[in-house]
Amino acid sequence: MKKAMSILLSGVMALSMLTGASFGVQAAEGRVYLLNFKPETDQAWKALAKTYQDQTGVEVNVLTAAAGTYSDTMRSEMSKSSAPTIFNIGNTAAAQTWNDYTLDLAGTSLYDHLTDKSLTVNYDGKVAAIANCYECYGIIYNKTIVNDYATLDNAVIASADEIRSLDTLIAVAEDINARIDEINDEFGYDLIEAFASAGLDDGSSWRFSGHLANLPLYYEFLEDGCDLIAGEEAIDGTYLDNYKKVWDLYVGTSAANPKTLMSGTLNAEMELGMGEAVFYQNGDWEFSPLTNPDNGYLVEAEDLDMLPIYFGVDDENEGLCVGTENYWAVNAKASQADIDATLAFLEWVITSDEGRDGMANAMGLSVPFDTFTGDYASKNAFAAAGARYMAEGKTSVAWSFNATPNVDTWRKDVVTALNAYTDGSAEWDGVVSAFVDGWATQWQLAAQAAE
Amino acid sequence: MEKAIRRYWPVFVLPTMAAFLIGFIIPFGYGVFLSFCKFTTVTDWKWRGLENYRQILFVNGQLDTDFLHSLWYTALFTVVTVIIINVVAFTIAMLLTKGIRGTNLFRTAFFMPNLIGGIVLSYIWLMIFNSVLEKYDMTIVTTKWSAFWGLVIVVSWQQIGYMMIIYVAGIQNIPGELIEAAKIDGASGWQLLRRVTIPLLMPTITVCTFLSLTNGFKLFDQNMALTGGNPGRSSQLLALNIYDTMYGKTGWEGVGQAKAVIFFILVAAISLIQNKLTTSKEVQQ
Repeated sequence: MKKAMSILLSGVMALSMLTGASFGVQAAEGRVYLLNFKPETDQAWKALAKTYQDQTGVEVNVLTAAAGTYSDTMRSEMSKSSAPTIFNIGNTAAAQTWNDYTLDLAGTSLYDHLTDKSLTVNYDGKVAAIANCYECYGIIYNKTIVNDYATLDNAVIASADEIRSLDTLIAVAEDINARIDEINDEFGYDLIEAFASAGLDDGSSWRFSGHLANLPLYYEFLEDGCDLIAGEEAIDGTYLDNYKKVWDLYVGTSAANPKTLMSGTLNAEMELGMGEAVFYQNGDWEFSPLTNPDNGYLVEAEDLDMLPIYFGVDDENEGLCVGTENYWAVNAKASQADIDATLAFLEWVITSDEGRDGMANAMGLSVPFDTFTGDYASKNAFAAAGARYMAEGKTSVAWSFNATPNVDTWRKDVVTALNAYTDGSAEWDGVVSAFVDGWATQWQLAAQAAE
Repeated sequence: MEKAIRRYWPVFVLPTMAAFLIGFIIPFGYGVFLSFCKFTTVTDWKWRGLENYRQILFVNGQLDTDFLHSLWYTALFTVVTVIIINVVAFTIAMLLTKGIRGTNLFRTAFFMPNLIGGIVLSYIWLMIFNSVLEKYDMTIVTTKWSAFWGLVIVVSWQQIGYMMIIYVAGIQNIPGELIEAAKIDGASGWQLLRRVTIPLLMPTITVCTFLSLTNGFKLFDQNMALTGGNPGRSSQLLALNIYDTMYGKTGWEGVGQAKAVIFFILVAAISLIQNKLTTSKEVQQ
């Protein structure tokens, strides 16, 4: 505590000296320079910058790097005398590279407004960057059908809200799958299965080798105490039994033939959209195709909701899998006046009507701050579900699969083993081996390649 | 005239030479050079010597069989398709030079598959295969042999028409008097084929085997779209294996490049040998 205090004090002193040095040169109110990461939001940011400048007179510049050139642009911009005051940090590795430049954002109003404190990049004992938008995934489900099912005699649940653990989910899915004809007769649906097909072709297998595989990785990283996004060189596969349980649920309660999951002719999105399936593991980006009238799906926005991928480990506290590459970091090497102006600008963005409208509506982002409610809450039902779980105090599951070494190779081996297990030509051990041994092998290869 | 050419030849040759140099020789030489380097972008390289070539077969002291598997799988695939394509194309060409009704229609129909791109064609076949195999609880990528025969069918279907056209041209070039003379001498149909038609067709056979052989070795689109190398990497032909090494593993670009050099030497050597063998059988009319 004492040490932290003295660091803080010396920091303040150093900063005040810096301010003193630049005092005569620069206008007291400072300037803001945002180096924007998302090319598609360029126009909206420039409009916001102009509004703020008109209102307060503070100079706000926005530069957007072309897709895929952010780190190059940032390297050259940061070396200039009027360097960006807000820049993007994508992950821990970037925070390590730019450690000298990141201001500790703990205690800022930005941090206070953040609904889920796990949406930060922490490095070197400081909050190096704070997420400004996020994506989430889980189990998409048709709430209307589940609630109708719940009114049947002997239904496992009385309402969809009661699905709060893996065991309940399994019981519900199996019961729905067993009573399809009864449900169709009673309510006039065209159900054919509980879970939408789990295709293992290249267009769908990432849902299981990437997104579902995230859960055993996440819980193992959590247990080992390593960085949840950066991962570790060897894994034990502690939670692969849970992975098997969920996979068996997906395959066992689906109408798709387990022997032909690689055929590439399955379309899980369509199955859910046409009301043939009740559950479908995917992310909030599916909201737009599912509700787009051009696609001709039968589901409506109000039918849709998302469940966490309950994993039988910590179901009580588990939220959706939430992640992003979009984090704001503030340049610690800027003058104090610039830093103050920058923090004030960011606070304005997330609290003012113009700022919130810009981010939530013009840019269409799901924003993780508590000020984005009412008109500024995301129109995306899945993102809204994510916000609801966060508000309930559930812990979002980090995107630990970002740690996967040689990701294409590792996933391909896992999918091959998973397919062999599912079509009955091999045992589950093959999956465990591809998952655990494959991880160590690819990690080693990737580390050698990085030398 | 000749004097003028002798003096001005650079004007005629240099543009082509320059294009060939820029578009082929330099990239090729640079590619060979890169196979000895570690690189992420082609301008940012680090010399590694023969390490890339060693890593094709040995990774961390262990034999990596992926490349060897692709090698024999590709060789087998090439042998099978060369035989099927040439035998069937030749047979159809023979039938379609007998003057039966609708010859032109048949020729057009057989040639058509060749007009569709490999990727599109493979996706269409993928649907056909999988809807049929569904009945037997299988997909085209259930085993490496189902994938193998799937590829053989698609590639044969696509290339038979093309080779057929070349054979038709060759057969029509055989002087009618020779056939007539052989018939008057009492040659049977088989003798006519064996002793007259095939020897005179050798130049065409050289071209067709050469084309189908190199096509088989270089096959990529159909492999990528139809099987994607599944199950696992066991239906990867060489070209897809190289692609997968280059893009699927971080920092393995150099190894992919080394594989590509080996691939080049292999294809060049085999086609040279094939060319020599079939050319030596050609006869002068």
